[in-house]
Amino acid sequence: MAARRERLRLDLTTPTLLGLPVAWLVVFFIVPIAIVAAYSFDVYSLFPGKHGFTLAAWREFVHSSIYLKLFWKSVKMSLTVSAIIVVLAYPLAYYLALSGTKRKYVLLLVLIAPFLTSYLLRVLAWKVILGDQGVINTFLFWTGLRSPGHPISQLLYSRFAVMLVLGYVWLPFVALPIFVSLESLDRGLLEAASDLGASRLQAFRRVTLPLSLPGIMAAFLFVFIPTLGEFVTPSLVGGANGYMYGNQIVDLFGTGFPDWETGSVLAIFLFGVVTVLTVVFTRFLQPRRVATD
Amino acid sequence: MDVALSRNGRIALRALFVLVVLFLYLPIAILLIFSFNNSELPAFPLSGFTLHWYHQFLTNADLKAALQTSAIIAAISSVGAVVLGVLASVALTRRRIRGRAAVSALLLSPLVIPYVVFGISLLLLFHTIGIPRSILTVVIGHIVISLPYTILVLVPRLEQIDVSLEEAAYDLGASRLRTFRSITLPLIVPAVVSAFLIAFTTSFDEYAVASFVVGTRTTFPIYLYSALRFPNQLPQVIAVAVVVITLSLIVVVAAEVGRRVAEERLGSLENAG
Repeated sequence: MAARRERLRLDLTTPTLLGLPVAWLVVFFIVPIAIVAAYSFDVYSLFPGKHGFTLAAWREFVHSSIYLKLFWKSVKMSLTVSAIIVVLAYPLAYYLALSGTKRKYVLLLVLIAPFLTSYLLRVLAWKVILGDQGVINTFLFWTGLRSPGHPISQLLYSRFAVMLVLGYVWLPFVALPIFVSLESLDRGLLEAASDLGASRLQAFRRVTLPLSLPGIMAAFLFVFIPTLGEFVTPSLVGGANGYMYGNQIVDLFGTGFPDWETGSVLAIFLFGVVTVLTVVFTRFLQPRRVATD
Repeated sequence: MDVALSRNGRIALRALFVLVVLFLYLPIAILLIFSFNNSELPAFPLSGFTLHWYHQFLTNADLKAALQTSAIIAAISSVGAVVLGVLASVALTRRRIRGRAAVSALLLSPLVIPYVVFGISLLLLFHTIGIPRSILTVVIGHIVISLPYTILVLVPRLEQIDVSLEEAAYDLGASRLRTFRSITLPLIVPAVVSAFLIAFTTSFDEYAVASFVVGTRTTFPIYLYSALRFPNQLPQVIAVAVVVITLSLIVVVAAEVGRRVAEERLGSLENAG
């Protein structure tokens, strides 16, 4: 196959094909991140004047407990959200992929469609639902389950609200990679396990679960990374309690008291953590993929 | 015996599926109900039917300008992302590339960057080289974000197509470009269309990156975000929400159904040939 393809390689050369996309990403993706790194070392600066390479901002970052504490809080929040929705999405994907239902693609589309509609508007829906004068509270007043003037005020502007909305927003998306990994599973393997006397549970634990692990990992990573750097949802429904690391970064670049040097340190730190995670996860997935092939 | 699910297991999973779908659509349904509610506050009890909020947003000039700006940005950036995506996908599936792993890692890397980091990176880039923020700077960012999605749609389709069709054209004397135009491109049109739609909707809905690099002309998500902070604007924003969500659901479903039908037809053509 590869040998046959080789004959096709003449005009429309590979550099012609790859040149533009690669250049675009280098100029508008890689270089900008390098510039942020430069700002974090004070090689570049927002304010004119004397500056040069220094580790001051990084030293401050490592020693100040505020930023790292906030980072840890965000890690815990997005870890919780990601874990819960992966666990919730797995049985859904399992049902669609392995129950033999004829309409699996229709049902999959039903599940995923909300993810493809406006993100902000889905957050807005929860703002309308959870507010002090929102749907839930006024419903409780109306039905007399709670006296007016005493709403359940922890619903909105709390850590709970941020996690609920993030879970709501990302749940449909998480089902997709898990579905793909389960659907490519050879049912013959399950039949073989069953013929050899394995119960359904045993077959699941020894065959299905290990083979769908790449899908689970991909799903987890695809939610954990964006939610870790999230700032839109917390700024809309989080209040002071739901303030996340991403909000801190935005505020450091904001109009009030901009501190681009510290902001760049925070951004590069987040970028580093995410890159390490991605590399580790892909390494971890690679040998399994080879094994299943 | 079914090896994957017991009878009860199937019933339980179906029930869970229904519950989750309800959870996903209920908030959208609530928006729909309150978009017709005759009250400044989206609250119970419902106080009567009105089309006032729809009428109000139809006559809102700021909103219309924002929708227009977003449509322009989405149109340009999705065409850009699809062109770059087709080039990259053809290279990835039809050529042997040195450092292939690194190249595809680079092409897909925007998938795994927190948007706050990317937004700030672009802001600092444009600030450092002195490019003023405008529609163009948003387009540049959106192409970066959408590019990996177009590749993820295009590569599987290109892998599906029998290479011998292209070889035949080439052996018959067609140039590489001609082969691509007459054979490859027609066969991947459905995937190109869905890549375009994904890129378009991604851009149209994108707030995080745009918020850092947007110029004086507000995009629709940025307009929405600021409107969310003013309670008196809430009812008409809800009405807009209903329209936008409905439209995007229709586009998504139509695109997916269309792609499947088209690819099945192309599939039978390929097999016949």
